[in-house]
Amino acid sequence: MASRTELSDFLASVERRAFKQAVYAVRDDDAALDIVQDSMMRLAEKYGARPVAELPLLFQRILQNAIRDYYRRSRTRMGHSISLSALESSEDEYADPLETLQIDEEHNPFATPPAALLQAETLNLLEEALHNLPPRQREAFLLRYWEGLDIAETAAAMDCSEGSVKTHCSRAAHALAAALAAKGIRP
Amino acid sequence: MSSEEQFARHLCRVLDQGTRTIDTSIAERLRAARERALAHQPIAVGSISIVGAGGTVAHLGGGDEKHPLRTFIAILALLLGVCVAYYWNGFDQATENEEIDSALLADELPPNAYLDRGFQAWLEKHSRAGE
Repeated sequence: MASRTELSDFLASVERRAFKQAVYAVRDDDAALDIVQDSMMRLAEKYGARPVAELPLLFQRILQNAIRDYYRRSRTRMGHSISLSALESSEDEYADPLETLQIDEEHNPFATPPAALLQAETLNLLEEALHNLPPRQREAFLLRYWEGLDIAETAAAMDCSEGSVKTHCSRAAHALAAALAAKGIRP
Repeated sequence: MSSEEQFARHLCRVLDQGTRTIDTSIAERLRAARERALAHQPIAVGSISIVGAGGTVAHLGGGDEKHPLRTFIAILALLLGVCVAYYWNGFDQATENEEIDSALLADELPPNAYLDRGFQAWLEKHSRAGE
């Protein structure tokens, strides 16, 4: 089982990304902190005795469920429901900016010191674009690429098929590229 | 790596930068939340330790998967303790029996007298009369 130190190290390594994930989803720091705290508490209480290797996937499942629960409660409070499908864009709407995307690490604009401001601006725009993504696309993108889960793990965390994960990730990447390109930023 | 994946990884590096510049009050609240969560982690019960042997040597419920030797030593120590206690207890019992036998044999009254019901009745009668 995970020792107290191992669990502490694990939580310390994911807490900031978890907080950001929750902020992108709910756009409220206090609510995001509550979500992360509840998720940590649930992980420690119910799964604190599980091996360390199982903790990342378990934590992400708990976190994503907590975010979804927050949505449900918010919708109940607001007295209406938001159709998630209404937020989805069809694939035809994308001009596929990734097709012309060229990433050259040597000429990464963020690698030069004067680019710090540009990076901060890019971060703001990226976070805004992430917030505007449909929830399932954002969830898939962050789990797959930011948390580093593989497709099967992402599917398990999202409780959906691997095919859905691939579709969500692809759509999310295209949407983010388009959103950044619209602001004149080309990574 | 596909261009999509490259692009995604690139964006994640930008997002990582955002986690490094997180507000200190938020970081402190996250740390406090972590501490509260850790306080709720179930503690392993039934662990036994040998003083001076370097901490916990075995978890009775499921064993110590990382240190099977420690588990083995703990079980061995436990069995040894049980054997010593059993032997010591038997030794005490034998000494006690030996003392009783010596007292009976050294007494003027023959041991068979204690098996005679008439003698026991006479003894009770005389001891009451003596009171």
